[in-house]
Amino acid sequence: MEPVKTPLSDDGVDTTATNDIDTLTSNSDDVQRLHRKLASRMFQLVRKRDGQIVKFDRENITTAIFKAAQSVGGTRREIAEQLADDVVLNLFADRGSTLPTVEEIQDIIEKVLIENGHAKTAKAFILYRHERSKRRGAPKTRPEVDAATKDRPLGIDPTELALFVRTSGDEIAQWDKQKMVQAMVREAGVPEAIAKTVSDEVEETVLHSNVRVLTVSLIREMVNAKLIEHGFEDARKKHARLGVPLYDAERIITRRNRENANIPHNPEATSMTLAESINKQYGLLRVFSEDVSDAHARGDIHLHDLGFINRPYCSGQSLEYVKKFGLNLPNALSIAKPARYPETLLAHMVKFSAALQGHFAGAIGWDAVNIFFSPFLVGLSEREMKQMAQMLVFEYSQQSVARGGQAIFSDINIYWEVPKHFETVEAIGPGGEATGKTYSEYQKEAQRFAWALFDVYKEGDGTGRPFFFPKPLVHITEKFFSTPGHDDFLNHISDVAAEKGNTYFVFDRGETAKISECCRLSFKLEKSDLEDAKRPWRMRYSALQNVTLNLPRAGILAAGDDKKLFSILDDFFDLAIKAHIQKKNFIMSLLNLKDSGPLALLTMEKDGEPYLRMKRATYLIGILGLNELVQAYRGEQLHETDDAFKFGLKVVAYLNLKAKEASRKYGLRFVLEQTPAESAAFRLSRLDLDRYGKKAEAIVKGDLSKHKTYYTNSTFLNVSEPINPIERVRLEGKYHDLIEAGALSHVWIADSRPSSDSIANFVLKTFKHTRNAQIAFSPEFTSCNACDKVARGLSQTCPFCGSMDVDGITRVTGYFSKISGWNDGKRAELADRFRSDI
Amino acid sequence: MKTFEIKGFVETSLCDWDGYLSSVIFLPGCNLRCPFCQNGDLVLRPDDLPTVGFDTVTDFLRRNSNWIDGVVLTGGEPTLRRDLAELAGEIKRRDFKVKIDTNGTGPAVIEALLEEDLVDYVAMDVKAPLDERYGVAAGAEVDLKDLRRSIDMIRALEDRSEFRTTLVPGLVGEKEVLLIAETIQGARKYVLQRFVPENSLDNSLRRAIPYGESFVSHLLERAGKYVGCCTYRGKLGVGLS
Repeated sequence: MEPVKTPLSDDGVDTTATNDIDTLTSNSDDVQRLHRKLASRMFQLVRKRDGQIVKFDRENITTAIFKAAQSVGGTRREIAEQLADDVVLNLFADRGSTLPTVEEIQDIIEKVLIENGHAKTAKAFILYRHERSKRRGAPKTRPEVDAATKDRPLGIDPTELALFVRTSGDEIAQWDKQKMVQAMVREAGVPEAIAKTVSDEVEETVLHSNVRVLTVSLIREMVNAKLIEHGFEDARKKHARLGVPLYDAERIITRRNRENANIPHNPEATSMTLAESINKQYGLLRVFSEDVSDAHARGDIHLHDLGFINRPYCSGQSLEYVKKFGLNLPNALSIAKPARYPETLLAHMVKFSAALQGHFAGAIGWDAVNIFFSPFLVGLSEREMKQMAQMLVFEYSQQSVARGGQAIFSDINIYWEVPKHFETVEAIGPGGEATGKTYSEYQKEAQRFAWALFDVYKEGDGTGRPFFFPKPLVHITEKFFSTPGHDDFLNHISDVAAEKGNTYFVFDRGETAKISECCRLSFKLEKSDLEDAKRPWRMRYSALQNVTLNLPRAGILAAGDDKKLFSILDDFFDLAIKAHIQKKNFIMSLLNLKDSGPLALLTMEKDGEPYLRMKRATYLIGILGLNELVQAYRGEQLHETDDAFKFGLKVVAYLNLKAKEASRKYGLRFVLEQTPAESAAFRLSRLDLDRYGKKAEAIVKGDLSKHKTYYTNSTFLNVSEPINPIERVRLEGKYHDLIEAGALSHVWIADSRPSSDSIANFVLKTFKHTRNAQIAFSPEFTSCNACDKVARGLSQTCPFCGSMDVDGITRVTGYFSKISGWNDGKRAELADRFRSDI
Repeated sequence: MKTFEIKGFVETSLCDWDGYLSSVIFLPGCNLRCPFCQNGDLVLRPDDLPTVGFDTVTDFLRRNSNWIDGVVLTGGEPTLRRDLAELAGEIKRRDFKVKIDTNGTGPAVIEALLEEDLVDYVAMDVKAPLDERYGVAAGAEVDLKDLRRSIDMIRALEDRSEFRTTLVPGLVGEKEVLLIAETIQGARKYVLQRFVPENSLDNSLRRAIPYGESFVSHLLERAGKYVGCCTYRGKLGVGLS
C-alpha cells in the first residue's frame, strides 16, 4: 500500500516529520530546519496563563533572556539568540500535540541558562519571574481575560493572535475560550465547571485541527457535540444555533421557492425564505413543546406557516375601520385622517392591507367591499366607477408591493343584495362621518361597483390574463333571489367564471352570514357578531393558527381496527390542540408587549378593544387526505362505494365533535378547516412513503416513480376520477356543513368554455339542491411572455407565436398562480386532475 | 327496457344547450362527410364503438332529475335514426326537454318530431352558402331544397332554435358567412363556432389554423345585422385574420 501523503502546510513544509528532532544540533542548518518546523502549525502556538492561545515567537524568548542578561551587565544579543534557539529545541523535542505553556517555557529558559553557564543571568531571570508571580497573586487563580492582557506574561505578546474566529457579526475576533464558557452558562445554564471542561475539550480539538480561521457556528456545534457527550442534552437544545446550511442558502438565493406558488422570485422573496427558515426552527425549538414539534417533523400533524411563527395565521377586516379611523398605525411615520374621496379610501385600504400582511401569515380578507365603498361612490359616472374598480383590482394584483415581494394575498367579499345584517346599519361616509342614511339606501351604488369590478375581472390584465388577486367572493344569501337584477348579475359573474374563472360563489343559506378569506376560510357570524354588525368596524376576525391532521397516516396505522383508528385520531387531535395553545400563548406574549412589541399594530385600540380581537379568534384543525384515510382503512376510495363515502362522513363528524368538545373545554373556538395543503399534501405523502413503504404506496396519489406524490386535499374526492361535476359538488357538499371554517368545491373546466347562462344555472342548482358552501370554476391558461397573448388550455408552446417562453396559469389550491411556481406534489395533482369537458 | 344505438353519453354539459344543464346522447351514422367533422368514428366506424345501454342514460337522468334540464340528441345525424321519435319520446316521458342537433337534410323527420311535440329546441348547422359550395363543405351531395325547408321550419321556432356555422378557413370566409346569414335572415340566434383542427375527419385539415379573435368579432358584427343575436362558441384564441 502506498504511504499516505502527508498534508503540507501553507508554506510547503511537511508538518508531521518530527522524529529527527533529537538529532538537531545548534549549527545554522539545523536551526533553519527548526525554524521551518516552527512555521508549522503545531509549533506556532503557546497557551497563556489565562488559557488564551497565542502565537509562539522565538524573538520574545530572545528578548526575555537578553533583558535578564542586561540587568547583570550583558551586552551581546546574539548570545541571547543562540540560547533562545536552545530553548526552542528543548521545548519542542519529544513534544506530542499538547501546547507549551508560559510556565514551561520559563522553566526551560532557566534550565538552558544554567546548563550553558550563564548563572548570573539565570539568577536575574529567576528573580524577575518570582516578582511577577508574586504580583499576580495566588498562582492557582486564573486572572480574568482583561486583567491578563494588562499583565502580560513574560516573553509572549498576546496581541499577536494566532487563531482567529469569525463572529456571527462580520468581525474577526481572537480565540477566547472564555466566551464559550460564558455562552454555555448564560444561554443554557450549564454549570461553570462543566462549561470549562467542555471548553477545554473543544479547544484541544480545534488545536488539533488545521483550521486557521474558525466560525462561531462551528465552535458552537463543537460545544454542542461535547454537551451531548457529557449528557447535557437539554442544555444542548437551549444552546442550539439556528441557521441554514450554505448549500441551502445558495439554493434559496438563486432558485425559486416552490413551497408557496404566491412567492415570486426576487431578492425580497429570497430574504423572506431565509428568514422563514430561522423562524421555523425557532418555532419548533421554542414555541412548541418537543412532542408537538416531533409530531410535526414525523408527520402526524402539520403545523402551518412555521416560517411565520411570530404572527397569527390569517384575518378578515372591515373597511369601516379604515373609514372611521383613517390610517393611524402605531409607530407610523405619518398619520392619515379618515378619507374624504373614494381614491383616498382605496389607498388607505391597500396600504392597510400591506401593513396587515406583514402581521399575518396568510390572507387579508375584506368584508362587503362594494357595500362599504358605496357612500363614497354616489354620483360617479360609469367611466369613473370602472376606473375605481380597475384601480382596486390592479392595486391588489401587483407583485413586489408587499412582504417578500409578493402580491398581497387578498380577498374581497361582494354582495349584490345588501345582506340582512347590514340593511339598517348607519352608513359611514367621507371624513368618517355618518351620512344619516342606512346601507340599504346605497344599494344602487354598491351594485354598480360590484358590476364594474366584474367588468374588470372579465377583461383580465393588460394582456388578458386572469387576475390572481384580489379574489372576488360573491355571497349569495336568500335575499339575493328577491333583489332586482340578480339574474343579470348572476349571468355577469358566471360569464367571468366561464371566461377567466375568478368568481367564487359563496352560498350563505338560511340565516347564515359569513365572511370569507384565504383559500376557503370563512367565519360564520354568530349572534354576538350580528350585534357587532351594527357597528361594523368591530368586525375583525382572525384564525390564529392552522394545524392539520395527517388523516391517511391514521388510516394506515389503524390497519382496519375501528377502535384503533379513532384512538389514533384522538392522539393527533390532542397534539393539534396542544400546538394551538402553545402558539396562542406565544402570540399572547408578543401581544402583551403592546406598543413596544412586534405586534403593536394588532394591539392598537381605536375603538376600545385591540385590533386583533383574541376573544373572537378561531383555531383551525385542518383535515387532509380523508380520501386516503378511507382508502387505507377500507380499501375503497370515497367515490367508490356508498359505504366508503359514509365512513368518510363518520370520520369528519367525529372530528367535528372533538372540535366542539375541545372548544368547551378550553374556551377557545376550535373549528375544522379544509386545509389548503399546498405544501402539506406533498410533504405528508412523502413522510408516509418513507415510513410505511408499501402501505403508503397503495394510497398516495401522483407519480411514485418520479417521487411526485400527494394526498388529496381535505375532504375532496379523488381529483383524477371522471366524476360528474354535479356528483362532485353534491357529494363534496355533504361534508361542508361539518367544516365550519368554510369549504369549497372545484370544477376544473380546463379549456372548455361553458355558456355563462349554463354556469348560472349550475350555480343556482348548487345553492338549491346541495349543502355545498362554495364553488369555483377553474379554467387553465397559457400566457405567452414573447407575444403577450393568452390562450385557454395548457400548452408547452404559445399557440399564437410558437414561443416556448410561456406560463401555464390555473388554480393551485384556492387561488390562481403560475404553474412554474408549483411544488412537485401539486404538479402531479395538476397532471391528474380530471377536467370536466362541460 | 328499450334499446337504442347510443354510441356516446355525456352526463353533464354546460356547453351544448345555452342556459341549460344537459346530457348529451351521440347517435351513429351520417349522410354527410364534412372534412372538419369532429366525430369521425361516429360517422365512419360506428360499429367499432361500444353501445351505451339506455338504462345507463335513464339511471343518470333519474338520479339527477333536479339538475338536468334536458337531453341533447346529436350525432352523426340523429334524423337518420328510425327510432329517433321513440327515443325522444322516452326522454320527454321522463320530463326532460329534448334538443336535436341536425344538418337539416331530413326536414320531414324534424317536422314530425315538432308535430308530436317531441322536441323543444333545434340547432341546425348551415355549413356553407346554399349553392355549389355546400357540397364541398359537406363532403357529399345535398338537396338544397331540403335545407331550405328545414331552415324555414326551424327559423319559425324562434327562440327554440339556433343556426350554426363552423368557421373553417378555406371553406367559410367572410363572404360565405354573410351569405348564410342572409339565408337565415330573421333567425333568433346564429352561432359561429370555432373550428377545432386536431380531430378533423379530413387529415389535411388537422394542421389548419383557425380564425383569430379579431376576425371573428368582425364577423359577429356583420352577420349580427341579419339575425336576433350572433354569438361565438368555442375556445377563445388568436389565429388567421
